[in-house]
Amino acid sequence: MIRVRLHGRGGHGVKTAGRIVGSAAFHAGFHGQDAPVYGAERRGAAVASYAWIDRGPIRERGVIARPDLIVIADETLLADPASGVLAGAETATALFVNTDRVEALALPDSLRSRVIAADLTSRTLAALGRAAALSASLGAAAVRLLGAVPLDALLQAIRDELTAIGVAPTELGKNEQLARDVFALLQPLAFADTGKSLSLAAQSAPAASERTGGSMAQVGYEGVMRGTPSILSGGNSAARHTGAWRVQRPVIDPALCSRCGLCFVQCPDGVVSLDAEGYPVIDYDHCKGCLLCQRVCPVGAIHEERETRAW
Amino acid sequence: MRVAREHFHNLKELPKTEQLEPGSPLCAGCGGLSALRLVHQVLGENVVWVNAAGCMTLLATFPYTPMHASWLYTTMGSAAAGAQGVRDALDILIESGRLPAEENLHVVVLAGDGSTLDMGLSATSAAIHRQLDFWYLCYDNEAYGNTGFQLSAASPLGSLTATTHHGATQRKKDIFEIWRAHRPPYVATLSAHDPLDLAEKIARGKELHGPKLLLSLAVCPTGWGFDPALGDEIAKLAIETGVWPLKEAKDGVVRHTYRPSRFRPVEDYLRPQRRFRHLFAPQRNEELLSRLQQQVDAYWRDAT
Ligand SMILES: Cc1ncc(C[n+]2csc(CCOP(=O)(O)OP(=O)(O)O)c2C)c(N)n1
Ligand code: SF4
Ligand code: SF4
Ligand code: SF4
Repeated sequence: MIRVRLHGRGGHGVKTAGRIVGSAAFHAGFHGQDAPVYGAERRGAAVASYAWIDRGPIRERGVIARPDLIVIADETLLADPASGVLAGAETATALFVNTDRVEALALPDSLRSRVIAADLTSRTLAALGRAAALSASLGAAAVRLLGAVPLDALLQAIRDELTAIGVAPTELGKNEQLARDVFALLQPLAFADTGKSLSLAAQSAPAASERTGGSMAQVGYEGVMRGTPSILSGGNSAARHTGAWRVQRPVIDPALCSRCGLCFVQCPDGVVSLDAEGYPVIDYDHCKGCLLCQRVCPVGAIHEERETRAW
Repeated sequence: MRVAREHFHNLKELPKTEQLEPGSPLCAGCGGLSALRLVHQVLGENVVWVNAAGCMTLLATFPYTPMHASWLYTTMGSAAAGAQGVRDALDILIESGRLPAEENLHVVVLAGDGSTLDMGLSATSAAIHRQLDFWYLCYDNEAYGNTGFQLSAASPLGSLTATTHHGATQRKKDIFEIWRAHRPPYVATLSAHDPLDLAEKIARGKELHGPKLLLSLAVCPTGWGFDPALGDEIAKLAIETGVWPLKEAKDGVVRHTYRPSRFRPVEDYLRPQRRFRHLFAPQRNEELLSRLQQQVDAYWRDAT
């Protein structure tokens, strides 16, 4: 079996990319399963999805702790330990990272040789006009790397899955072309297909115990202050840097700013403050990049730039 | 045309202190968070939030909270009952001298429209009937947002939700009127697009003892389907088309605090939102579009 784990941020289309991988495998005559990880995910927050592919029925469910292929839609996730993108990476055959600066990635040396990188964001932006609509390009990258699934199965999966989420017919052709380009760009990984099972060639078979999970934790009785999830440290959410959610970064030009204060009043997250002279200052550790401030600024003093680093 | 404000005249007079720390997991551009932030700034720090399960619950999920104020999480149906318990406890502590009167707190329910219009209505009715001294902030994103945007009694006619693939077939329930029928001292609608109107209404409510409803439209880029950058424009269109009236009712007497001098067509508000896209393409649904316009026209014909 080949296990694929895809990571991105809400809005990137990681769930749909996982579905594309599963469907493409199915169209190619394999068994395929896919599932998104449900949680309190929101646009911009770290999300993941899974896909399993094999020759025979797939009965495995739940978390993929030891993926064969990890697909990372956004390099800034590497700097966010809570997103768990590197969980189980030691035994993965390959890590695909969507980036245009692979040398600068925050990665341990032991993983570097297994990294495959391509800049899907620029390609997607050029093809679709939207940098975040990554499902087709991510799905194409994952399917191509698997090796065993041909292009026509990928394109069929893209048509099916994008239609199912309401993508307009006029956009389908652009997504297919984008997928073709990504397919041509990447080299497949070596795989082994015995006719009964499918695996990536370099895959080391992990011990069965690693596949079946650990033992159950025993939870005893606790008093109310320990037994309930009470938060005793007010305002501690600032420790969570939502700045890494941004695709685009708002930048204020003080020379144009009239100090009207609208961006301060309207920022939903309250991350614009006013300095001693009344000029607005953006807290980039936490700004989520909604760009509402840019639209409310009456004098056009806020422009956007592509975000390239983790915060 | 807007009514005169006594407390807040320009943006510079709004409180500058942030009551919420950043780093919340809510969607970028969340209109519910905008409303909550502005309301909290004007209410000040002495607040106990009593939250009904919904999107805002994600604010204070273990181990993080943006709040410095206290927060009690309740089920969807029982936030108003929770508020009764907290209010009674505070009153008893103050009366018996165990809590100095200066440390009194505003008890504020924070709930979505699903809780407010559907599941929590009976507990709320009981609390209003009791004339409990509390606030109720409903951020109305017009569906059950946290679980994937299913139809609620606040979803507008014709809107797509996860459970109405051809559009909602009922009219939005009028929770303002349901509250007003109980004759509480204060009921008001708000919008983050008009922060001065919002702040003024809270200042007015602060002078009154008893149940007070703050009903805020909460533009929801995720559920409504628009670019989060457009949040303020959508909120503005809701007001300028007459879809979201800004009004208050003191002891049951209704007054509109803003009336657009020229109403924009309702279509201008609907068109930018994916949840109404099927009204325009593949062909225009003239019947429903004119019904939506007529409902708004009829409302303002009778408005005081
Ligand atoms: C009695 C009950 N039913 C269902 C749920 C699951 N649930 C959690 S949040 C939520 C949605 C609440 O919708 P709304 O009140 O409109 O707030 P929003 O999520 O839109 O902020 C639901 C259905 C619950 N917590 N309790
Ligand atoms: S983009 Fe602007 S409005 Fe949005 S979070 Fe950042 S500073 Fe606030
Ligand atoms: S909205 Fe524009 S002009 Fe007003 S304070 Fe912000 S940047 Fe300056
Ligand atoms: S779904 Fe809507 S209301 Fe809920 S957090 Fe996202 S934007 Fe806010």
